Order: sequence, then C-alpha cells, then structure tokens
Amino acid sequence: MWRPAVLLVPWLALGLASPRAARADDGALLDSDALRYRSSGDLAIDAGLAVGLPAALPTGLAMGVAAGVASGRTLAWGARAAWVTATESSLPWTVTHSDLRLRVTGAIQTAPGRGIIGLRLGLGGTLVHESRVRNQGMRAGLTGSALETSALSMLPAADLDAVVALHIAGPWLLVTSGGPSVDRHDGALHAGWNAQLGVAWQP
Amino acid sequence: MNALAAASLAIAGCSDLSGFGGDVPPLATVRVQVTGDLAGVTPPGAGNPDLRVALVWGAQWLTEPLCILPPDDASAAAMIAAGCRDAFGFVPDRTAVDAPLAADGTASLALFDLPAADVMVGSVTARVAYAGIVVYDDRDGDATLTMGRANRLGGRDMGGPPQDPGMQTADLVYAASFATMTEPDTRLAFREGGFDAAAAFYPRSGCGAPLPSFSLVSAGGFSAAAAIAAQLRGELPPEDPASCREQSTDAPVALAFRPPAELRELACVERATDSSVRYREPPADAPDLTARTAACVKVPDFGSGKAHGQIQLAISGRSDDSCAGLTHYVLRGCRNDALCDLPAWDITASPPSWWPCPAQAAQ
Repeated sequence: MWRPAVLLVPWLALGLASPRAARADDGALLDSDALRYRSSGDLAIDAGLAVGLPAALPTGLAMGVAAGVASGRTLAWGARAAWVTATESSLPWTVTHSDLRLRVTGAIQTAPGRGIIGLRLGLGGTLVHESRVRNQGMRAGLTGSALETSALSMLPAADLDAVVALHIAGPWLLVTSGGPSVDRHDGALHAGWNAQLGVAWQP
Repeated sequence: MNALAAASLAIAGCSDLSGFGGDVPPLATVRVQVTGDLAGVTPPGAGNPDLRVALVWGAQWLTEPLCILPPDDASAAAMIAAGCRDAFGFVPDRTAVDAPLAADGTASLALFDLPAADVMVGSVTARVAYAGIVVYDDRDGDATLTMGRANRLGGRDMGGPPQDPGMQTADLVYAASFATMTEPDTRLAFREGGFDAAAAFYPRSGCGAPLPSFSLVSAGGFSAAAAIAAQLRGELPPEDPASCREQSTDAPVALAFRPPAELRELACVERATDSSVRYREPPADAPDLTARTAACVKVPDFGSGKAHGQIQLAISGRSDDSCAGLTHYVLRGCRNDALCDLPAWDITASPPSWWPCPAQAAQ
C-alpha cells in the first residue's frame, strides 16, 4: 500500500495527536481503535525541528524549525521551508547566521506496513542573513559599522534527504529525515547536512 | 534588469557574507608624531637606530619606603640616587602594541585587544587603565620593547632567594608620552564605567575624568614636593586645570626625542608593586660591590620606634645595569619584614667579617 510523502514536527504534538489513546475505557488501557490509522489522501503537511550545518558558516550547529507540504504517492512533489540559526565566535567576531531554506521537492517513496520510506531531493535557495558583532567593540566604544555589520545573501542550494515516517494514529505520523546538502557560496560548493524530526498530518 | 542581475548573482553564489573573514577593525588607533633631533640625543656608539613605537600599559606601583624617606646622610643619598627609580615615574607593566616608526616620524598603533583586568585599577563598575607611548631603538632586533629588571645580590644560602641577576635590556627609549607625573604627560586611558576621582592610580587631581572607553588624557604634572605635601594632607597632588586635556584618540600624540639616560626606567618592570621589601641574610663571603653604591641606613619604622635603630645594608645595582634596584641585608629579620617578632635569622652577635655597618644605630 503506497502512502504520500511526509515530513517533520515536534514530539510534543504526539500527545495531542491521539486524544482517544489516552482515555481509559472500562479497565482497558487502550481500545481497539486507539492505534488504528487512516490515510486516504495524497496530501501531507508536516512540521518539526531542524538541525544542520549552517549554509555559509564553516562551523557550528544551526537549529530551528521546518515545515513542508507534499502531494503524491510513489512519486511526490512539494515545497519546504526551514528557518535555522547559528551563532559562533572567533577571536574578533561573533557571527550569527539565520538561514531561510526554501526548496521545491520531489520524492520517491514506498510504504511497507505502517511506515513510509522515501528519498527526497530538494532544490532551491537559502536566504542567509548575517549579523557580525566585533567582540569587545561595545566596551571599546565602537559604533556603526565598526561595531556591527549585517548582510543578506541568497545562495543556490540542494538537499538530498532520506525520509522515514511512521503512522501513529488517525491522520498523524511521526516523521524524521536527514541527509547531505550542498550550497554555492563565494564561487565554491560547500557541503553540509540537515536533519529534521517532527510530525505530519495526512488527511 | 536589476532583478535579472540579482538572480544571476544568486545562482553564481556571489554574496556579501563575511563570516569570520575580512578585515578586523581595531578597537582604537593611536597616531604618533615624533619630533626633535635624534642625532643630538643618541649616545656615542649607539649605531644606526631601528626606531619603533610601543604602547605600554602602566602598572600600579608603590616605591619602597627607603626610596621616598629623607636620607640620613650623603652616602644614603648616593645609594638612593643609584638604586631607586623615580617614585613618581611611569612603571610599565606590559607592551600592548608595537609598530615601526616611519621615516617621517609618524606611526600608527592599532589596538585589537582591550587592556586585561590586571592592568585596570578600580572596581568592575569604575575602573581605568593608563598606557604610555614610547619610541625606542630596538637594539636586540626582536621587534618589541624588551623590558629589563633590576638585579639583586644573593643572601646566605638558607633556602632563601639566590642572587637574582635580573634582566638586562639592550633597547633604548628615546621618547615617551608619559615618563613621570612630575612632568607634563599624555597617556592613553581606557575607562570602563564610572571614574573614581579619589583613586591614586597615576592621579590627575583637578583634571576631568577620562572619556568613556579609549581616550587621550594630558596633564601638566606636579612637583615632588607638592605631591608629598598633598600626601601629608591626605589629598592627591593637584594638577593645574589649564594643563588638563581629555580628548578622543583621533588626535595625534606628539613626542620629542630625549636622551635615553632620562628614560631608561620606562623599559624596566618591577618585581613587587606594593612597596614591600625583600630582606636577605648577609652571606658569609663579601658580595661583589664593584660598580655598586652601598650605604648603612636605618630600617624604616615610620617613627614607631619598633626598629630600635636596627641598621640595614642597602646596595644598589651596578651602574651599567639597565634598571635601578636595591638589595637589602639585615643581621636580624625575616624575608618580608626586618622587624618581625620571630626572626628567621639573627646573627647580630656574630656578623660576617666583611659587614660594614654597626649592629645598631647610635641612639
């Protein structure tokens, strides 16, 4: 049985996902329908936590949130967005990068049992906002661009993610994904990685 | 068209992002202009000088009592003149930045670090650091102002300090913005938070507070007599307000060449900064007093009578040393206190044969 593509969202939502599962019923911890899932549509919406290597910083761990929508069964297409941020320091600088990752996705997937396994390719761009603060500059009385600079840049990027989803109950799925990514920055390709964990809703 | 160009740039991955790269702006830049006739102050045989400019943070330092009290006699005065540094002089702690002096007499000192907490004086909400700017001949060729330290003679080997040869420096200082508080000076100040006008750290009483963060401050100086009189009144020595100046670091600092003999202490660091004295037990064999000045003087007790006329032998460093300093010998005492109740040594009954002083001063 084929299932649509899906992605991420917080663990927290799991508790909200199946209110009936938590309800006691005549001495039984769970009734027979508690873990029954249904999934008849091609559309899936997901959201969750995202981590990965910053697109344009050579070090650090970027953390944030991601969401996406996908439609299809064996072959699915969709769009994704993620916002992650990382702050790292060198001797003179404290640099904060906020990455807005925008991707158009295509996925190939299969659904053995309650699970869904797929491979998703995302193409698009990463909008990077950079904020640099000169360390000790405020104590030294620096102002303006000598103290802080900012820049905005759109970097072409691509992701290849392995996606694993598991039907939990009703229309809700637990989704995790991860894989390599690449972006072009300062005329060179930079490799990285992304990982996401979340929940999906598939009506 | 602009959108097309932007899209092209984006596809090419061109960006204004700098990350950790790019030029690092200095936290402050001090410009220096040196004037005067260098040839007229160069000592014979000094050769062709390799002049550099250094910015040196100052240490909080108190002279030892013997150096500030009136001498008992001419020999004591000679020993103090040979072995004590200027009690009101600028005492270096460490060099912050160093740059070559250009042929036109200019230099630019870019500070990329704030002064460390150990060169700042005051609480965390009101503290200040002062730095002087010196022009020196880098005779040892290490591209930094090498600091010297006074040498001291050793004591009897009882686990005490051995002879401390100190450190000699070949570098010669030719100009300084801040040599002593008894002359006009200009210094770089780094002020953080408020300013404690009552602090006696290179005081500029009567002048305005340094500007927040980095600034250049100047004062006209005060006489040693005025400083001692003010101290006896419990005050800081006053500066002439007309000679005071507080300005940003945009203004250049003007220096004039001077004979290195007048400025040699600016390349000398101190072991102890709290006026404490290290006493030594006289060795059995006579120390080498060649080129040194010695005097038998009373152990200072500031009129308490606790010394009971105890005498010490104070010996200056060698006349060709880079830095001035004193060695103190006492027949009875402890390392850090000649008047201690339980002396670590007491050879008053059997002083060494070479001991030139009376065991006790005439009452």
